[in-house]
Amino acid sequence: MLPPLKPIAMKERISMIFIEYGEIDVLDGAFVVIDKTGVRTHIPIGSIACIMLEPGTRVSHRAAALAARVGTLLVWVGEAGVRLYASGQPGGARSDRLLYQAKLALDDQARLKVVRKMYELRFGEKPPERRSVEQLRGIEGARVKKTYENLAKRYGVQWCGRRYDPSEWDTSDVPNTCLSAATACLYGITEAAILAAGYAPAVGFIHTGKPQSFVYDIADIVKFETVVPVAFQIAAKNPPQSQAERLVRLACRDVFRESKLLGKIIPMIEEVLSAGEIEPPKPAPEAVAPAIDDGKPLGDAGHRH
Amino acid sequence: MLVIVTENAPPRLRGRLAVWLLEIRAGVYIGSPSKRLREFIWNQVLEGVEDGNAVMAWNTNTESGYDFLTVGKNRRVPVDFDGLRLVSFKPLDEPDKAL
Repeated sequence: MLPPLKPIAMKERISMIFIEYGEIDVLDGAFVVIDKTGVRTHIPIGSIACIMLEPGTRVSHRAAALAARVGTLLVWVGEAGVRLYASGQPGGARSDRLLYQAKLALDDQARLKVVRKMYELRFGEKPPERRSVEQLRGIEGARVKKTYENLAKRYGVQWCGRRYDPSEWDTSDVPNTCLSAATACLYGITEAAILAAGYAPAVGFIHTGKPQSFVYDIADIVKFETVVPVAFQIAAKNPPQSQAERLVRLACRDVFRESKLLGKIIPMIEEVLSAGEIEPPKPAPEAVAPAIDDGKPLGDAGHRH
Repeated sequence: MLVIVTENAPPRLRGRLAVWLLEIRAGVYIGSPSKRLREFIWNQVLEGVEDGNAVMAWNTNTESGYDFLTVGKNRRVPVDFDGLRLVSFKPLDEPDKAL
């Protein structure tokens, strides 16, 4: 008998795979994409952070179960890889971490400290003292606008501001399409990392009101040093809309590898949250621990084992 | 680290590969040559494989950490997934006859 499957740590994984069309099923225990001519392509599901399923795919029950067992996030995406729906372990798998995250978000003092840490990591310097979260957001907005303009100038891209309409994809200009495709890649792996670390994607500190608020919080820290320059670089070549996505994904994969993002992202989440200076809550003394010990995990804290 | 797997290769190629590499199973060779030697060895494979087929894999600094080259006809063919190389397994029949 083979031993049971376990998820492996985020840092040992490849960032993402986009699957364009085909039936996704399990054959002999492996995750396989079968196209309509019967060609089978094995996907090394356990060593990938997230699988992006494009509109031409169908996923079987067994395939989804296998993805869950090895802790790989399945993300159903629309055009340019923009996320529609994901299945990992929505809501997170660790009550202690969720309570810790919620406690930080509920406490105004702690939340401000976390937000300040996010800006500090992002801009490489401490934000001005005695500012509220709203004021910090204002400073950030102006800086982001400036960064876009500077990058557009550096790569020689004509830039008329960040504009996109998810309902009318084709009306967006090339730089905006490239940016959307690039940020979609980043959001995918960030969500996978947040879930793997055992936190809730919905509980944000700067962002709020979206199922991925915390994903945007964390992704924004590294966005302007990773995927945004990549998007402008590709946009500068002025590729046809049909090729832009592929080129952006190739370049994103490179930048994720070069920046070792998958290895850094979970420690970064921990660093940001620990800035709140709150102790993670202890389990209540009368609470019942798991009846069966699952043995030593190979994966991250938030993975089911 | 380098691995070469040959199938249906002529004995003279298999002997040749064993000059630089270790044959740990029938048709499976390992070694850790430099880039130049790797290219030299692969050239030997291209020249000597005849009706057989071979694959060579080695470690790189790409995201997957490896790359590979193939030669000859095989049901397994490399495919590119936005920069990540995977392998498709062709059905036995002609592709357009199945389904």
